[in-house]
Amino acid sequence: MTGAPVEAPVESPLQLPVDLPLAEGEPDLEEFDVTDRPWIVIVWNDPVNLMSYVVFVLQKLFGYSREKATRLMLQVHQEGKAAVAEGAREKAEADVARLHGHGLWATLEHPS
Amino acid sequence: MSRRFVRKGDVLRVTLSEPERELLRELPEQLRGLYSSDDPDDAVTARLFPRAYLDPTEEAAEREWESLVRPEMLREKLAALELVVAALDAAAPGRRGRLVADLNEDDVAAFLGVLNDARLALGTTIGVTDDLDLSLLDPSDPESAAYAAYGWLTYLQGELVETLLGKMPG
Repeated sequence: MTGAPVEAPVESPLQLPVDLPLAEGEPDLEEFDVTDRPWIVIVWNDPVNLMSYVVFVLQKLFGYSREKATRLMLQVHQEGKAAVAEGAREKAEADVARLHGHGLWATLEHPS
Repeated sequence: MSRRFVRKGDVLRVTLSEPERELLRELPEQLRGLYSSDDPDDAVTARLFPRAYLDPTEEAAEREWESLVRPEMLREKLAALELVVAALDAAAPGRRGRLVADLNEDDVAAFLGVLNDARLALGTTIGVTDDLDLSLLDPSDPESAAYAAYGWLTYLQGELVETLLGKMPG
């Protein structure tokens, strides 16, 4: 955000699942979303977005208090990213869409 | 003290000089061009319409999400451009040779989005970084007009956000 210089966010390497051959009679797990773990919504820092605007968007979209929205914004600003919401995949996808619609750069991932 | 954005009942009144109104009036057309760009390598398009998933194993989910979200997002952005054009064209003479435009809630949201997108586009193009210091602007630099526009749009969006934050729960 406009303000002090921030280091680029660091991506944690993902542990990708390995495709194992199925023994006869085993259910095909790909039919189910075995990754029923919650998803988290990450907002990434970018140099253009105003700090005040990030606070505004977090309050508007998630109903956060000024205090919580400010805390999250500062985390984005200082650490390069922050988890701002979590939930099932569909909800997290919708949150990402709404954040993009307000010009914030957001992604969804599983918590590491 | 005159503020840029002043509440007048249900509307927010913005005061602009004629050159300022002209600068803002150019944004919708420029953004319309950017929104409809289908250049996959365009850095501005990538910033305005970013990915949802960084995980390369989620490519199917990414494509499905994009197919659902992108058309709607584009529709909303284009609608916002229309509102901004209408509001700027309807600006009336105010005091001291300035122009005033009265913005309802939808107009305000549209302005906010257009200002932010314009700054994202400009910022991506001129390579804005976190430690950009606009006070070091060199007028002889061919990029200086873009920097100056970016600086003023930043100021204007900042004023608008402060005004809106003032009305939200603290």
